[in-house]
Amino acid sequence: MRRLGWYAGSAAVLLVAVLPVAWILSLSLKSPATVTDKRLWPADPTLENYRSIFGSALFTRALVNSVGIGLLSTALAVALATPAAYALTRLHFRGKALILPLTLAVAVFPPVAIAGPLFDLWRALRLYDTWPGLVIPYLSFALPLAMWTLTAFFRGLPWEMEQAAQADGATPWQAFRRVVVPLARPGVLTAAILVFFFAWNDFVFAISLTSSDRSRTVPAALAFFPGDERLSQPVGSIAAAAVVVTVPVLVAALVFQRRLVAGLTAGVVKV
Amino acid sequence: MARTRAVLLVVLCAAPLLVACGGGGDRGVILHWYVAEDTAGAYRQAAERCADASAGRYRIRVEPLPQTSDTQRELLVRRLAARDRTVDIMGLDVIWTAEFAEAGWLRPWTGARAVQVSAGVLAGPLATARYRGRLWAAPFTSNTQLLWYRKSRTPSPAPTWDQVIAQAEALPGGDNEVAVQGGRYEGYTVWVNSLLASAGTELVADPDRPDRARAGLAPGPTREALAVIRRLASSPVADGGLSVATEVETEQAMLSGRAAFSLNYASLYATVRDQQPALLADLGWTRYPQVVPGRRSRPPLGGTNLGVGAYSPHPELALDAAACLRSAPNQQVAATGGGLPPTISALYDDPAVVREFPFAELLRQGIEQAAPRPATPAYSDVSLAVQLVLHPPASVNPDTVVPRLRRTIDDALTSKALL
Amino acid sequence: MSIGGATVFVPRRPRRKRRPQAGHRTAWLLTAPAVIVMLAVAAYPVGYAVWLSLHRYDLRFPEQRGFVGLGNYAAVLTASVFWTDLGATVVITVVAVTAEMVLGFAIALILRRGLAGRRAVRAALLLPYGIITVVAAFAWQYAATPDLSFLSDRAWLGERWSSFAVVIATEVWKSTPFVALLLLAGLTAVPDELMETAEIDGAGAWQRFTRVLLPGIRPVLLVVLLYRTLDSIRVFDTVFIQTRGANGTETLSLLAYNQLAVRLNLGLGSAVSVLLFALTAALALSYVWVFRADLRELSRGGR
Repeated sequence: MRRLGWYAGSAAVLLVAVLPVAWILSLSLKSPATVTDKRLWPADPTLENYRSIFGSALFTRALVNSVGIGLLSTALAVALATPAAYALTRLHFRGKALILPLTLAVAVFPPVAIAGPLFDLWRALRLYDTWPGLVIPYLSFALPLAMWTLTAFFRGLPWEMEQAAQADGATPWQAFRRVVVPLARPGVLTAAILVFFFAWNDFVFAISLTSSDRSRTVPAALAFFPGDERLSQPVGSIAAAAVVVTVPVLVAALVFQRRLVAGLTAGVVKV
Repeated sequence: MARTRAVLLVVLCAAPLLVACGGGGDRGVILHWYVAEDTAGAYRQAAERCADASAGRYRIRVEPLPQTSDTQRELLVRRLAARDRTVDIMGLDVIWTAEFAEAGWLRPWTGARAVQVSAGVLAGPLATARYRGRLWAAPFTSNTQLLWYRKSRTPSPAPTWDQVIAQAEALPGGDNEVAVQGGRYEGYTVWVNSLLASAGTELVADPDRPDRARAGLAPGPTREALAVIRRLASSPVADGGLSVATEVETEQAMLSGRAAFSLNYASLYATVRDQQPALLADLGWTRYPQVVPGRRSRPPLGGTNLGVGAYSPHPELALDAAACLRSAPNQQVAATGGGLPPTISALYDDPAVVREFPFAELLRQGIEQAAPRPATPAYSDVSLAVQLVLHPPASVNPDTVVPRLRRTIDDALTSKALL
Repeated sequence: MSIGGATVFVPRRPRRKRRPQAGHRTAWLLTAPAVIVMLAVAAYPVGYAVWLSLHRYDLRFPEQRGFVGLGNYAAVLTASVFWTDLGATVVITVVAVTAEMVLGFAIALILRRGLAGRRAVRAALLLPYGIITVVAAFAWQYAATPDLSFLSDRAWLGERWSSFAVVIATEVWKSTPFVALLLLAGLTAVPDELMETAEIDGAGAWQRFTRVLLPGIRPVLLVVLLYRTLDSIRVFDTVFIQTRGANGTETLSLLAYNQLAVRLNLGLGSAVSVLLFALTAALALSYVWVFRADLRELSRGGR
């Protein structure tokens, strides 16, 4: 009987987690005429919203911007954080203990506190409304996140294998390449996925530092979708766009589930 | 390998950049016109017509902005502050002239062109395009509000606000709302400003002198004006959603039959004609209500002026293009196609325009006697101050709120106010 | 924004006494780029923000720039809007974080049971975690709009407290999975033997819960609480999309944004940002101080 209670709880969690996503999916399949029919699922599903958003440059450009800026930020963050994480876990040096708390401090800066001065700076440097103009502030949360995940992950690696390889006659560099890199790869991948999600998700920087489809990412584009006169928002188009950008999340949740959970909880418990 | 992956990722990123950088070739210069589009595509038509008339010197590309004034301003202002060079021509709300001119974002109109775009234009709209003695924009369309009513329920509306509300309250049964824009946005300041002007006072004294501008708000008239808000907000004939009502909601109130009276712009007529023709026979219109009996009311003044961006790389072409866009034929199409009242006085006698606006003479009169909102560079802050202190409508206490309103407006005028 | 994991357990293998001494230089060479970039992209703008906050700097009056010392701070701290927004931020933070911790704990307990289908539940949990906050805000907004919603006829976003409810529900929906997954990891670290021993010793379910389980995950609980609190103080996306701050739901981040991006008043906006930053920092520091024993234990690792 109690077991049933736990199963019911499980089912409830599943339902609540999925319902809002299903709802936005449902709205995206409703035509403008039926979007106010107040049904959970459309009587007559249609793909016209999807056609319309892919037909306009606004959304497709925003997608390109989101993907490009996300990948750039991820690449940079991981490239900078990996050697740092390696040094933090493997090497002794003065000031080492300060670095992780520093990343923590940087990570809790309110983005709006950074966005304001950057708006002024970017105006002068002509970086306003450009890709680098977004990638740079993204590093303010991408780097700390990458460093935390990688540090935690690296601490759990069996480093003695590297030493064993060296004892077997390999040079430090060979030991690094043959032993450490394959071991580190899963952690780097996890860190990359987590960082990409955060860049994908950013809103404050995107609306403060962009003004055109040159660099406006999807969340910002969603907030400023042009509407027609009758409804103040084009609900169907926004919903369709929302579904499209949620698909990668869905895929990642299914495919990379274990990796993601491990990355999230790395450091709290031994991986 | 981490490094190979990084390289791959960078290459992946470069690809979209290459795609993005490819641009089409252009015949002649492309001028970007940032404007909130009208529903009938009249603006695009005007853009095409002017491009053709330019004999290939330029083409005009319409860049659509959102429909609400506040959002349009937000997007434009950010670009202009970043010295965006793609802003050639802008559709400016009449309230932005002082702000944009003072910030150095507009190119002034001078000489023959200035004469050309001022000739025959109604005085009110022309004044909104001027600031401190110079012409900063070309008047394009105008707008004002009328009192719309159901003839079957109220054959002849009374002249003042109090009387109109009383008439509505006296109507038997439901469906006796008086619909006004009471939401927390620019439309609310429009209402407040017209009430104050109708009572004989103003929000800001000396608005175009930044060193001397201060809150106006003469005590007696202000109290009378604010009393109207309190009267309506506490009345049973106020819409339940008054505190979030915009033009969309007030139009809807009339269409759905909920409202016996609705304060709306000229576009209500076209909306009713298109969506509910049966209602048209019952739709009446009259002048904006008075606050003080016998004192002429000052309806709101809206509209769009055309400005040229200061950072545009083609100022002369842009000025020419804007002058063409606001010319009489285009204003006529904007009126008959887009339902937007013209700024050229003579067009109100044009038969096509009169057909579109049976109330054309009333419209022209309203525009001529309309109350502009304060022409101060800090206007957007003043509007925010009004919204902060006087919203929601039900909270307005005419006896106690005026000092706070005055203080907040004074702070807003000197960029000291947190809003 | 949240970060997975706080500090780290040293692996339970005996610590190696000897490590390759690569020297300080290599170490700094490897870490310096990351540290420099972090300081550049975060510390520099904040420093600039502090400088801006000491000036009257309104982009619409470019000629009227000038030093005003603490004038902007005085204007901010005496404005009722600031305190109202601070109140709104506190309300959202307190309610949302409490709900997230309680629900997250419950979900962690459910997952810990090891029931069939838990992998599906875990995957489902990653959905709110990974989804874009703006998308979540729209989804909940459309569920709360009377014209569209299949759930309700009421204009939830038209009044203050019901707007809070929608905003908080969105935040809780979005962030509880993070809490749940972390707490689950913490729970898993509490060895089953401890619980079994307690049961053998005659402790009831509730006593096992309070005397063994809770103390066992206390460090993790506190770290998660800290992160969620600091994150919630900065709430922006949800409120922006759903109400744009109307009806008294404006938060401090939104207040700063309005001054900066809408009014182009960089002086006042920077003052608000700096105050928000100071608030966050003060919270973090006081938290770390109060719970320093637990955090030290967490970093020392193992019991």
